[in-house]
Amino acid sequence: MSQITTPNGFTLDNSGRRVVIDPVTRIEGHLRIEVNVDSGNVIRNAVSVGTMWRGLEPILKGRDPRDAWAFVQRICGVCTGVHALASVRAVEDALGIPIPASANSIRNIMHLALYAHDHLVHFYHLHALDWVDVVSALSASPKATSELAQSISSWPNSSPGYFSDVQKKVKQMVGSGQLGPFRNGYWGHPAYKLPPEANLMAVAHYIEALNFQREIVKIQAVFGGKNPHPMWLVGGVPSAINVHGAGAVGAINIERLNLVADIAERTLAFISQVYIPDLLAIASFYKDWFKLGGGLSSQNLLSYGEFPSIANDTSNHSLMLPRGAILGGDLTHLHEVDLKDPNQVHEFVDHSWYNYPDEKAGLHPWDGVTDMNFRLGPKSRGGKNGERIEEIDEGDKYSYIKAPRWKGHAMEVGPLARLVIAYAAGDKRVKEMVDGTLKKLDLPLTALFSTMGRTAARGLEGLWAAEKLKEEIAGLQANIRSGNTATANTEKWEPKTWPTEAKGAGYSEAPRGALGHWIKIKEGRIDNYQCVVPTTWNASPRDPAGNIGPYEAALLGVPMANPSKPLEILRVVHSFDPCLACATHVIGPDGGLLTEAKIL
Amino acid sequence: MPEKGMLPPVMVYGPGVRIWHWLNALAVVVLGVTGYFIGMPPPSVIGDTSTLYVMGWIRFYHLAFGYVFALLAIMRLWLVFVEGGVTLQLYVPAIWRRDWLDGFIRQIKWNLLMAKPLRYVGLNPLGSVTMLTMFVIPGAVMILTGFAMYAEVAGHDSWQYFLFGWLTMLFGNTLDLHLFHRLAMWVMMWFVMVHVYIAVREDILSRQTVISTMLSGERQFRD
Amino acid sequence: MSKHETFYEVIRQRGVSRREFLGFCAVMATMLGIGPKGVATVAHAMETKPRIPVLWLHGLECTCCSESFLRSGHPMASEIITSMISLDYDDTIMAAAGDQAEEIVHDIIRDYRGEYILAVEGNIPLANDGMACIVGGRPFHHQFDEAAEHAKAIIAWGTCASSGCVQAARPNPTQATPVHKLVSHVPVINVPGCPPIAEVMTGVLSYILTYDRLPELDHQLRPKMFYSQRVHDKCYRRAHFDAGQFVEAWDDDGARQGWCLYKMGCRGPTTYNACSSMGWNEGVSFPIKSGHGCIGCSEEGFWDRGPFYERLPDMHQWGIESNADKVAVVGASVLGGAVAVQAGATLVKRILTGKRLKGSADDAADETETPGNKK
Repeated sequence: MSQITTPNGFTLDNSGRRVVIDPVTRIEGHLRIEVNVDSGNVIRNAVSVGTMWRGLEPILKGRDPRDAWAFVQRICGVCTGVHALASVRAVEDALGIPIPASANSIRNIMHLALYAHDHLVHFYHLHALDWVDVVSALSASPKATSELAQSISSWPNSSPGYFSDVQKKVKQMVGSGQLGPFRNGYWGHPAYKLPPEANLMAVAHYIEALNFQREIVKIQAVFGGKNPHPMWLVGGVPSAINVHGAGAVGAINIERLNLVADIAERTLAFISQVYIPDLLAIASFYKDWFKLGGGLSSQNLLSYGEFPSIANDTSNHSLMLPRGAILGGDLTHLHEVDLKDPNQVHEFVDHSWYNYPDEKAGLHPWDGVTDMNFRLGPKSRGGKNGERIEEIDEGDKYSYIKAPRWKGHAMEVGPLARLVIAYAAGDKRVKEMVDGTLKKLDLPLTALFSTMGRTAARGLEGLWAAEKLKEEIAGLQANIRSGNTATANTEKWEPKTWPTEAKGAGYSEAPRGALGHWIKIKEGRIDNYQCVVPTTWNASPRDPAGNIGPYEAALLGVPMANPSKPLEILRVVHSFDPCLACATHVIGPDGGLLTEAKIL
Repeated sequence: MPEKGMLPPVMVYGPGVRIWHWLNALAVVVLGVTGYFIGMPPPSVIGDTSTLYVMGWIRFYHLAFGYVFALLAIMRLWLVFVEGGVTLQLYVPAIWRRDWLDGFIRQIKWNLLMAKPLRYVGLNPLGSVTMLTMFVIPGAVMILTGFAMYAEVAGHDSWQYFLFGWLTMLFGNTLDLHLFHRLAMWVMMWFVMVHVYIAVREDILSRQTVISTMLSGERQFRD
Repeated sequence: MSKHETFYEVIRQRGVSRREFLGFCAVMATMLGIGPKGVATVAHAMETKPRIPVLWLHGLECTCCSESFLRSGHPMASEIITSMISLDYDDTIMAAAGDQAEEIVHDIIRDYRGEYILAVEGNIPLANDGMACIVGGRPFHHQFDEAAEHAKAIIAWGTCASSGCVQAARPNPTQATPVHKLVSHVPVINVPGCPPIAEVMTGVLSYILTYDRLPELDHQLRPKMFYSQRVHDKCYRRAHFDAGQFVEAWDDDGARQGWCLYKMGCRGPTTYNACSSMGWNEGVSFPIKSGHGCIGCSEEGFWDRGPFYERLPDMHQWGIESNADKVAVVGASVLGGAVAVQAGATLVKRILTGKRLKGSADDAADETETPGNKK
């Protein structure tokens, strides 16, 4: 091929120079991106390659379904807990276990805390260096930086002395020649647009956010014992509530609730006074990025919905972030999404390093197959006998990520999808936040469908989560006040109370997007288990029809200043917040064996 | 041993072995009961935590009798040298004897009600094999895994860790020690079940005394 | 003045006086056995030694170790990264990507041969020529081997790198292999846990920097200072265990009073970690404190010792739902059955032949006698 148009409307041209980024860093897991640029260094073809596979499927088979959450939680330690949440929901769905109202509140609180934490960490520590030039911060005037900071926020750490101290610290690092994580960065790259003062402010907040983020997750530690990887429970939550009686110190008591409330308060302050002002400041210097890297977002968006305000109720009446799909960019029509409908979610492996009985057909997760088959296509370069792979052949199988499709469509998932769907569903607070932000930046609604739009949506959702966190803590207190303190439903705890066979689906919205777990239980044991995770949607390879996924679509048309310093590619890919360990563990039911794997 | 006719009583077990037997029986019972409850504790007790020590005492007796059991094991080995005679049979079935296999088969047939038993001064061949596989070997497993678990509590600087810590290395995960300790417990419980039954049965049906032998040391032959 | 920020400069910035510094050097010199004359040598080395470079590689993992590291309260991760070590490569936070990132690994190996610390998160898959984890277009195995060969020491973060963890659970389809099994000549420090406690991670690093030596290790290569005691022995609920007060079901009265989780499958008694003494997230809690039993996440093969809510692990080899007690009951039933059958048959035979129960056994069979145990 040199130029083709995909069924979902993108033009691919792989005739130009090939640029490879492997490893893509500041993500979770291992990802490789290959692009072709034309003579003007504009990306005309993009290939997203998941390069790790952990094979949890044969591992989970035959285990106790009540243990499954712990196994799948280890799929990802960054968005820690989301897989556990989807898993306990899947088991509860299969066995018909409703959870108590307070358990629902606690799960919401833990999950909202994760949203706030994950979005904050993503912005400052995984994404900011794409926009912020650390070395440029050295030439900033601390006094001017202080004025800038004070003009956009009431955050107290904003004196000239404070910024001067930060600058000294960075100077020491750079001066020592040992830059640590900043080594070999793209400093001085022409795509960096921030003035030195904005850079210094952002670097200061990089460090401050690094120190503060550890506070937010203490909320998870209170209820789940630790973070990363807190404890969960099928049928509710493990932490019992006791605020009145003897022995309250051994349970969730007033001190614990005060701690949670205090952290929530500080989290909201940090996000609203540091994160959001920084986000707006940076965005205002990169307005061109509100036009670039939109990809599929202006067409197809998907959300499973999250945060049931009423326990066990997954209707949009109950979900604080609604469930639904948008097709063809039509915000007036929200399509209904059902994880259990065999005609909705399908996964294809035509371009993935797995075998299917019929490579052209998709399979619903309940019937999925995971049979690893690593091979490099005929047009690939290198990779023989353990040599470095120079170039992947995207015409053949090329990724450990499967290609999930909703009713045949490639879909984008994540904060942008959730916010747009909530916007389309008419959520008042979301509408207010989105419209307000766009107004401040003087941008139209369509600006959302871009790299910077994705990054902005994540920030707004972080703010939304911090606000909801406070409300949800108040909700838990209301439950306790009315004596509603049960936290676990143990009626169907013992396997002997279970039916011989059962199957269920568990939904969740991870910070990165829609997450589904599908489980089949037979005679008290896991018969099969499958997850379709956010990054599987976003980093999806091509499907048999030739539709490209969101990463690949978003990279098209992005101009690069210097293809050997791929800063622009990092911007686009990071705006999705990739989580590759999630995407590529791939759990399927049929005990995929690895005997087929070979290198061509 | 002549197979016909009345015989005078024979001294089989010296006082050491007899005392050892009954002390050991006591230790096994205490260890079995307390051990079972350590694995599967009794229902919770309600009350003031600081005055209660139910699991504490269960563990105390288990550990104390664990030491008793281990010391008795050493004593029993010592008795092989002191009292001699049939005392070695507990550890070493006399398989080198020409008629051992015949006796073994004969004893199985007797248990299947198909043959008449023979007369033995000490352990019969089947009994000897049973003692070895269901008591001596599991007993050794108990002592080894038991002290290895004790070493977990006593710490890396303890003599228990010095002597038995290698077992934890063998398994990697010490949960396996607990598992093997429990499995060995069940084997010994099976042993107790079979041992008591056979002792009573043989005492009634066979041609020699069994239970009273372990009390008086003398074996009497009835025909 | 060297262009690198030295250990001396770092500790001076951290409030250590020149006098204290020289005292430290004297202790070091004695420990190294080079006597008082060596003090100047040590001091000189410290004053001119650059911050120790750290390569933090990621194999098959979930990044929970990195995340945990960032949660450290004392010292804070930002402190470690900016002034204690030189974290030159860590895919999770490093600015560079692609070729620029790969270049760093090569440069550090070249410039700091035998002087850098290799930190490994996750483990190394060996199946399919290692192609289940590809970094820079090559199997991760290659990157790991190169970096391991010239490292001063290797820190294996987490249970993945220490003993395998979840992807190495039965049947380990990618043949995920822990670090120490692939390294022979470089010291390996295992810091297990899924993830390890943040302050244990930063504690191990700062121990190495502060005392300029590797921590004392146990047989499983774990630092004795953090992994020599069981969660159970330091658990604040131990009093309830000794009293015999247990949580019998989730959210029961015992659970609401913080009783012992032993009956809910807690692995505290078989888990060596500092959770119950140090706590997680700066001591806010640890799993037992939040009402859930320990799952033994720092123990080798803990995934294959489930179910987590049963005291006894599964015994798959005895059938899919077996555990020790179930096997025992089957064994006891078989034996008990045999005993009952034999006793019954004896009785029936006696009754049929009309013989007394007590007495001679002559009648038990009519076979000719064979010579027996002659003395």
